[in-house]
Amino acid sequence: MPFKKQKQHQQKHSGPKAEKKKLKKQNGSTEEDERKRNPKAFAVQSAVRMAKTFHRAQDIKTKKHHVPVVDRTPLEPPPIVIVVVGPPKVGKSTLIRCLIKNFTRQKLTDICGPVTIVSGKKRRLTFMECNNDINSMIDLAKVADLVLMLIDASFGFEMETFEFLNICQVHGFPRIMGVLTHLDAFKNNKTLRKTKKNLKHRFWTEVYQGAKLFYLSGMVYGEYQNQEVKNLGRFISVMKFRPLVWQTSHPYILADRIEDLTDPERLRTDPKCDRTVSLYGYLRGTHLKNKGQVHIPGVGDFQMSDVNFLPDPCPLPGTQKKRALNEKERLLYAPMAGVGGVVYDKDAVYIDLPANHVKQLQEVRPTTELVQSLIETHVTLDAKMAASKVSLFSGSAGLDPTDIMQEGLREIHVWDAHTQTQRRKVVFTGLEEEEDDVSGSSSDEDDDGSDQENQEEEDDLSTFLKEVRDKSEKATKGSTPPVKKRKLEEMQGEEEVIAEAPAFADSEDELERGEADSEGEGEAERAGDSGHCSKESEEDSDDEEDGDEDDESMEEEIGADDSDEEEEQGKYHSGLFTFSLCSILWTFKWKEGLQQKASAAFLRHQEAAPNLRKLVYGSVVEAEDSEEEEEELGGLFRVNRPQKSKKVQADALDCSHFNPDISHNWELEEMLNSIRDCFVTGQWEEGQDAATLLKEDEELYGDFEDLETGKVHKGTTGEQDQAEVRDSEYSVKMDDEEVQKNKRLEKKRRLKERFDTEYDDGDATYFDDLKEEMQKQAELNRAEFEDMDDESRVQYEGFRPGMYVRLEISSLPCEFVTNFDPHYPVIIGGLGTSEGNVGYLQMRLKKHRWYERILKTRDPLILSLGWRRFQTIPLYHIEDHNGRHRLLKYTPQHMHCGASIWGPITPQGTGFLAVQSVSGVKANFRIAATGVVLDLDKSVTIVKKLKLIGYPYKIFQNTCFIKGMFNTVLEVAKFEGASIRTVSGVRGQIKKALSTPPGAFRATFEDRLLMSDIVFLRSWYPVSIPQLYNPVTSLLLPVGQKDSWSGMRTVGQLKHDLGVRNKPSIDSLYKPITRAPRHFNPLHIPKELQKALPFKSKPKLLQPKGKVPRDLKRASVIREPHERKVAELLRALSTVHHYKKKVAQRAHHAKHKEFLQQKEKDEEAKMKRMKDARKKLYRIMGQKDQKKQRSSLKGTPQDD
Amino acid sequence: MASHGLTYEGCNFLRQRLVLSALSGKRVKIKNIRSKDDEPGLRDFEANFIRLLDKLTNGSTIEINQTGTVLVYQPGLLYGGTVEHDCNPQRSIGYYLEALLMLGPFMKSPLKATLRGVTNDLTDPTVDLLKSTALPVMKKFGIDGEGFDIKVRTSWYSVFVEMQSNPGMDKVAMHVILYLNLSLVLHPQVVKRGMAPGGGGEVVFTCPVRKTVRPVQLTDPGKIKRIRGVAYSVRVSPQMGNRIVESARGILNQFLPDIYIYTDHMKGANSGKSPGFGLTLVAETLNGYFLSAEMLSTPQGQGDPILPEDLGRNCAKLLLEEIYRGGCVDSSNQSLALLLMTLGQQDVSKVLLGPLSPYTIEFLRHIRDFFQIMFKIEVQKPLEDERKGGDKVLMTCVGVGYSNISKTLK
Repeated sequence: MPFKKQKQHQQKHSGPKAEKKKLKKQNGSTEEDERKRNPKAFAVQSAVRMAKTFHRAQDIKTKKHHVPVVDRTPLEPPPIVIVVVGPPKVGKSTLIRCLIKNFTRQKLTDICGPVTIVSGKKRRLTFMECNNDINSMIDLAKVADLVLMLIDASFGFEMETFEFLNICQVHGFPRIMGVLTHLDAFKNNKTLRKTKKNLKHRFWTEVYQGAKLFYLSGMVYGEYQNQEVKNLGRFISVMKFRPLVWQTSHPYILADRIEDLTDPERLRTDPKCDRTVSLYGYLRGTHLKNKGQVHIPGVGDFQMSDVNFLPDPCPLPGTQKKRALNEKERLLYAPMAGVGGVVYDKDAVYIDLPANHVKQLQEVRPTTELVQSLIETHVTLDAKMAASKVSLFSGSAGLDPTDIMQEGLREIHVWDAHTQTQRRKVVFTGLEEEEDDVSGSSSDEDDDGSDQENQEEEDDLSTFLKEVRDKSEKATKGSTPPVKKRKLEEMQGEEEVIAEAPAFADSEDELERGEADSEGEGEAERAGDSGHCSKESEEDSDDEEDGDEDDESMEEEIGADDSDEEEEQGKYHSGLFTFSLCSILWTFKWKEGLQQKASAAFLRHQEAAPNLRKLVYGSVVEAEDSEEEEEELGGLFRVNRPQKSKKVQADALDCSHFNPDISHNWELEEMLNSIRDCFVTGQWEEGQDAATLLKEDEELYGDFEDLETGKVHKGTTGEQDQAEVRDSEYSVKMDDEEVQKNKRLEKKRRLKERFDTEYDDGDATYFDDLKEEMQKQAELNRAEFEDMDDESRVQYEGFRPGMYVRLEISSLPCEFVTNFDPHYPVIIGGLGTSEGNVGYLQMRLKKHRWYERILKTRDPLILSLGWRRFQTIPLYHIEDHNGRHRLLKYTPQHMHCGASIWGPITPQGTGFLAVQSVSGVKANFRIAATGVVLDLDKSVTIVKKLKLIGYPYKIFQNTCFIKGMFNTVLEVAKFEGASIRTVSGVRGQIKKALSTPPGAFRATFEDRLLMSDIVFLRSWYPVSIPQLYNPVTSLLLPVGQKDSWSGMRTVGQLKHDLGVRNKPSIDSLYKPITRAPRHFNPLHIPKELQKALPFKSKPKLLQPKGKVPRDLKRASVIREPHERKVAELLRALSTVHHYKKKVAQRAHHAKHKEFLQQKEKDEEAKMKRMKDARKKLYRIMGQKDQKKQRSSLKGTPQDD
Repeated sequence: MASHGLTYEGCNFLRQRLVLSALSGKRVKIKNIRSKDDEPGLRDFEANFIRLLDKLTNGSTIEINQTGTVLVYQPGLLYGGTVEHDCNPQRSIGYYLEALLMLGPFMKSPLKATLRGVTNDLTDPTVDLLKSTALPVMKKFGIDGEGFDIKVRTSWYSVFVEMQSNPGMDKVAMHVILYLNLSLVLHPQVVKRGMAPGGGGEVVFTCPVRKTVRPVQLTDPGKIKRIRGVAYSVRVSPQMGNRIVESARGILNQFLPDIYIYTDHMKGANSGKSPGFGLTLVAETLNGYFLSAEMLSTPQGQGDPILPEDLGRNCAKLLLEEIYRGGCVDSSNQSLALLLMTLGQQDVSKVLLGPLSPYTIEFLRHIRDFFQIMFKIEVQKPLEDERKGGDKVLMTCVGVGYSNISKTLK
């Protein structure tokens, strides 16, 4: 049937209906109207359902919330780490190159190590390429902010991609952006589209629905298309990041520069000695404390010997009002890559930048003079650093910068040729030690060195000047005359002070870290700040002890001395580089007028409150001052320990009570008056006084209009107040104006507050409150140390993220330096408190569903947990219903299980992943398991099942003697009352030990045992965790073999490698089963029984049939040939006959069938005919009847 | 991966060092403990303290040399749970309790410590003082909730008497209080008071567990609205308490009318082994901060006996002294507050203190050693015409972001 088109609905365009509709459309009926018009439809049908929908709505709403966290991002954030990952030959380097070119207009040919660029006014980026080594992948996933995941579209996903995604998932999920490359390999547009779609959807399931996937279609001259790269760059520069837990709670650095500072002499004598290395990089994450512990993945745990911050090598442009960056602000910093930064050589470092770029830099900003100066001279970095330092000073001091620069550089050249030790001794502690060695005094000479220092201290200033002169002479001549030993020593003293104590004579909050207090300070172990014990302070304290109080002028001189030293310190530290000779030149210039400055500073000191900070964290001159002043101050600063009685102090009473020696006389009225205002009965502050508050309320709410009567009430008090104010205004007009203004502001503020509470905060939820609280805290965090200079700020809050810092680590293995490969990331991860310890960890673990095998207990496994990668021996266990941790031999296939390891203490909730080996590339998925740390309990409660077997040797009724289960009576005694069981399931209990044989016992059972029964006792045996913690030291391996680290092998691997095969026990071998045929005896039924049985069940004892006698057998007939012929013929005839008969029968049958059909037909026809006849008959009869009836109704017919 | 330990000399500040060691996980070595003394080595009470620490932790190792002059402590995991400990009567329970207050919130399971010994003595803060001042300080840091308490037996009867003697109290309030008390009496915590030197007191300290401590800004102490106190007496005439109260009120009434000093007289088994009496005064400010002072009678047979009147007066003066010093935390709890600030989130915490006590100063140094945290210390001088006592110190620090690594994640 053909489809018939329905008639379409005709919309009315005119008429009343159309009018009505139009009107409706115009007004736009709201839900409100609907409700009004049809209230029943909107009535609550079911309260339960309504509650349900409401709950659901709320659930969805709250699900959208993230737990609010305090925003701790610094004002100037560190560069964003962009890790470019992907399988080899996918185009990682090309992409980085293109992006760098896009952002900085520079070409970087060789990408190795992190590359930092300025991408915008507020954003810097650090690119890092991740090679195909799983070690690098793990390390970089931990520090990445954004991952550019390159996928070869012509090939599809590779295992590396999925591995990296899984690594990311475990260590906090950084932002991931997919980039499809090699799209030009597709010739067919349709397959291209299909592939894109498939890849996209697979990518989405892995990352999240709607994750950004970029397409880089084709290459133009070996680069990606400009427009596409530009778009990608735009995406990157507007991307937002959510803080990751691990990253925000730990400081970390992706090192972009590394320097070996080891003494060359030591290197010469022992090339394998531990190296002192300085690592440079942007600090990320959170605040870094000096002297803390760090972990370098691939190397190990180390204590930082020193940290300081440097001027930013790649600073953000200043706040200028323009949209784009200009050329000179597009900085590039990649020391390891060799272009645009610093090039590495064995012991020298070179710079390579286009000349015009350098010029621009020089003109614009002093901070990059560092780079510039480095470029101009081809000398070692240290020297260059020193030079750059000078230029930094020049800006502030007004000296001719170029002048100094030239001189400085020249000097450095000269200087460098000579002793290296001298060059570095001032700033770096490591070198200080060296010098100590040179001068033959150890670092802990503080105790005995005091006398000597006393002497030194007297002619402090003069010596210093002498030194300076010496040095300057040296500098001008360009040669190094041998310095006398004593002088050298003195100089060291000076310089150590300079190095260690950064201080500012002007600031009250001086940062002198000298510590005179602690007797334990000499010990190297004592942790604390770098300059625990400055010599200066020691001197001063000695001075105090000796009690030779100088007269006023003398004191002043000392003060001057101190302050000038302090100023120097300030200078040096703001530079934080080496103590170069040019700075000595400097000293002359600023020394003019020093005396005045110093004396002024000293006076200020005298006047100012004693510095509590110094008192607590290290006492200097001011400690004594405070002690002098404390009488006046009422015991506030009494706390300085008496230096002489150290030993007494050390063993004093440990008590937290604070009972001052001189208490105030609380009998006196004035004393009582001094605390009057501490009580509610005292006088209140201006803003809080009840009277004022009331008055204000009156002002606010005093005047109102009575609407009914139309009367207007005025706040009278306010009026009066104003009047009063007016009166007073005439008298003290000028002074009052300020006060009035303040008052008004205050009033305004309060009004606003009240308004806010009334209108805004009405529907504030818990979440909003929490968010607001966090916001406040974040503001406070920012504001608290904002106006401090970095030097002192670092003291309080540590080095803050975003700073460019230099770490010094004193004992790195030499392989780290000799086998250094910039393609591998060097990450310095800070460790929290107690994260440096090793202990037991309980974790929840699940075998990865893509990993093909299950994991075996006690097989060594490499874990990536926290910053670390290490090999350990896990024990897998599962918790039974009664809380017992039962040891498992293997991890379950698809289920979580517990795992206990011996490893580094890491906070609970930290995720980890496990791999079997980190060496080489395998076809299969390498991540064996993932999980999370649950607990750090030191007591392990894993048990394994132990079945003890015994055999009964004497059986009474239900009691039984059992042997073979234990060896001594004592063992039995321990298990008295324990329940035992036989194999057949008979339960029993151990009763008491028997004396002989040893270890036998009496037991009772619920039933009688058989001698063949075996009795067993189920017990649990605690398992101890093997203490293996083996950090993966992949970075120490030679270049090119860094991905071949192998640790402890599993038993299986060992056997395989050594070709050891276990001889299986003979009993366990399979043999062909041979079964003896069974023989059954005949059933014997007794005769009596047989008789009694019914016939049916009676055995039928039939006689065997006998032989048929011969005469009864019929003889066989052998036909004559004629007869045979006849018979043959007969048979043939009969066959023919049979056949004929058959055919005839078939024909007859068919004929009969036809006949029957015919008959049926006839019958049918006959029936029809009869039916018709009957019909006819009935019709006639009916007509007759009708006629009859009609006639009867008519009456008697006439003719009847 | 050797954890780098710290080394100290002398037995002073032993508790601080061990507590900080337990919290930071750093090994600590203390040398030359009374090495020049006639009786070298650790005293009994110190050994007892170490034993208590051992009970609280799991997997810690303690090595003491033959003479007891060198102690090496490798901290383990803070375990908590139910602990019973007999404290050495040389020092009062306060000595032990101060350390427990610092460790309590960072245990694996909530702490319930029953300490037996001297509840009140002269050298250490008494249990009453800690209960009324240390707990509110900790509450400010978010350590609060069910079962955060120090229980010494307080006699509700004496409260009742005090209230009756005060006609200003209205009947309804009294009934309400009585009702509440009765409900408390239904679950009596039989804990006993014991004076030095005999001891025999008992204290139950319960503390919930926290994963993190929140940062605080305690900068405005507010004005003192009321003063409360307990005058306790054991094995002496019950009249002593009343005499103390009388004299103390005499001084404090000049400032404030809202003063209640409860008398707490213990009898029989609850009264410990030695006679004595004392007074603890606590001033509460509008913002919920507590300043306290206390005074005790000299222990039996040691020194001159002291009159209860003198004791009351002196104690009141001590309270005035404490108020003069001011701040949001009283002098004996400074170190506790500073510790909790240090262990807070990586946010700025501020607290206003009175002058720093020597104990606190050493504690600050120790904090720097163990956690590398330095406090910004600013002196706030009182204004010209302000009558609010002496100089205050504003302590500011950024917390280390400490999280309780003992607590199990489920």
